[in-house]
Amino acid sequence: MQYHLSQSADFSADKHPESAAFRCQSESLDYAGLRHGANQLANALVDQGVKRGDRVGIYCNKSLESALAIYGILKAGAAYVPIDPHSPVHRIEQILTRCGIRHLVSHTAKAQDVNAILQSTGGLDAVIGMSEPEAPAVHRCRFMNWNEVRDSDGERAPNVRLTEQDLAYVIFTSGSTGIPKGIMHSHHSGLSYARLSADTYDLGHGDILGNHSPLHFDMSTLDYLTGPMVGSTTVIIPEAHTKLPASLSALVEQERMTVWYSVPFALIQLLLRGVLEKRDLTSLRWVLFGGEPFPPKYLRELMNIWPHAKFSNIYGPAEVNQCSYYHVPESLTGYEESIPIGTIWKNTEALIVDESGRQVSPEMTGELLIKSPTMMRGYWGRPDLNAACFFKRPICTDVHDRFYRTGDLASVNGKGEYLYHGRKDRQVKIRGNRVELDEIESVFIAHESVEEAAAYSMPVVDGSPAASIEGAVGIEVALVLKGGSGISKQEAMNYAGDRLPRYALPERIRILGSFPRTTSDKIDRRELQKRALDEHPAYQKSSEHHAT
Amino acid sequence: MPHDMKQNLADFVYQELLDGRVTISGSDDLLVSGLLDSLGVMRLVAHIEQKYGVKIPPEDITIEHFASVDAIAAYAGNLLAD
Repeated sequence: MQYHLSQSADFSADKHPESAAFRCQSESLDYAGLRHGANQLANALVDQGVKRGDRVGIYCNKSLESALAIYGILKAGAAYVPIDPHSPVHRIEQILTRCGIRHLVSHTAKAQDVNAILQSTGGLDAVIGMSEPEAPAVHRCRFMNWNEVRDSDGERAPNVRLTEQDLAYVIFTSGSTGIPKGIMHSHHSGLSYARLSADTYDLGHGDILGNHSPLHFDMSTLDYLTGPMVGSTTVIIPEAHTKLPASLSALVEQERMTVWYSVPFALIQLLLRGVLEKRDLTSLRWVLFGGEPFPPKYLRELMNIWPHAKFSNIYGPAEVNQCSYYHVPESLTGYEESIPIGTIWKNTEALIVDESGRQVSPEMTGELLIKSPTMMRGYWGRPDLNAACFFKRPICTDVHDRFYRTGDLASVNGKGEYLYHGRKDRQVKIRGNRVELDEIESVFIAHESVEEAAAYSMPVVDGSPAASIEGAVGIEVALVLKGGSGISKQEAMNYAGDRLPRYALPERIRILGSFPRTTSDKIDRRELQKRALDEHPAYQKSSEHHAT
Repeated sequence: MPHDMKQNLADFVYQELLDGRVTISGSDDLLVSGLLDSLGVMRLVAHIEQKYGVKIPPEDITIEHFASVDAIAAYAGNLLAD
């Protein structure tokens, strides 16, 4: 019986000691090596004072060390906390302080940044993975490089007793107030996800998973937690490849990857710039995507190029890991602007409720609530959020079910498929009409000349008829056009005018060369909105007004 | 390879793509360090195409050619010489 995530490394080392668990660049780590190296790191961490329940940060570029770090930290009885290696020091400091992190696993490539972190934070007890810097220390921090880690015992893991309710990992996402929120997953929720995902996508020993997502993005758990559970190989795709689609497609071909999981953006980049006609990617048997809606026009094109692969839309906030899938049918007809999020997966219950918490009538839209063994314990150190994010359904006196409020709007169509209608907080009222910003985006993206679209609300400016209404908002749409296409703003507006109700039409369209993106490659709409407010002289007055 | 081309590319990367935040040398890695993202690469490609009147085929936009200012300049220099 497995009750601890790191047992995956042990069990797979027993079964397939010489199979590769992880590969990155030209390096490879087999299962025997993973178990041995993780034991060494765990013993080193315990020597450095790590105890059951502690949080240990992972601050690494994508590398074999990041995989070793996960299993070493878990074997020490601690929870791993991935930190975006390209995050500004200020944000890292927030995470370290909030999460009470005293130990960091890193590597030499990040030595300079670690130094900057130590200068600005309250300090750390130990940094594993690099030697002490030569500069005079202004902090009392111990250093241990990877060679020293390898002096520790690799035969046996430290003797730490854990239950499956123990904390396994904490993933930080940006909160709407700008303070990062730490999503806490236990061994139980992590294992439930690993089991369900292995089962749903039929993952096994022969599979080669392409790890596109960075560690601090929850989609990486398929590659780092599910893969080792079934004894497959995970190819860690280096950062450089994720930026150059032609190199990326060459790597997929060379590594004979069988399963792909990423945000749609990465697949669209591959489609548009990955010279796919020159690559033999017939090894791909299943392409999974999630995190954002995949515009059907691109999906259809990709499915035509890779007829040998199955395609699935994966849905689920990081708080529940995953909760539904949609296996895309070969002929993707009838879905011009968006595809369903599909079927709620096993052992999981979904409710769609209205504002007052009552279940909506069939086919009506409401907020999606999820109850699943893959669900998080809550947010780290945020009783305020934890009080608000769960929905309690009474069963009988003193007993209730706990559902996670996804904040996503969904409905079920006549075929029993779940449909996604955008974030609840991406719903705006325009002159009393409910408008989904995500649906406006999907209308624009469906146009053949549009590569990407983003819609966001803006305060209505003086002079507009709606300006007299307190808090009235309008919509602005930003577009990135396909190379060489010359659609005008007016043409784009006319196109949308044929497909959207009048009140949902944007007041303004901007055409940009590219969009700002979050570290997980999603469009950064908040930044777009901020830039629009900063740049547009007409908004200066109203934004000042809003700031006071 | 013309020296002013390398200087021009270094200036473009420094001023346009890095907003003058980080000083770099010709051999510094731009990709793994996170200094350049995928959109930065696309802007750089557009800049070279426009400035030097060449067409960069998608299959050439690879790590080997775009890892550092030196690598980009060497690649673009060859492209011009062809």
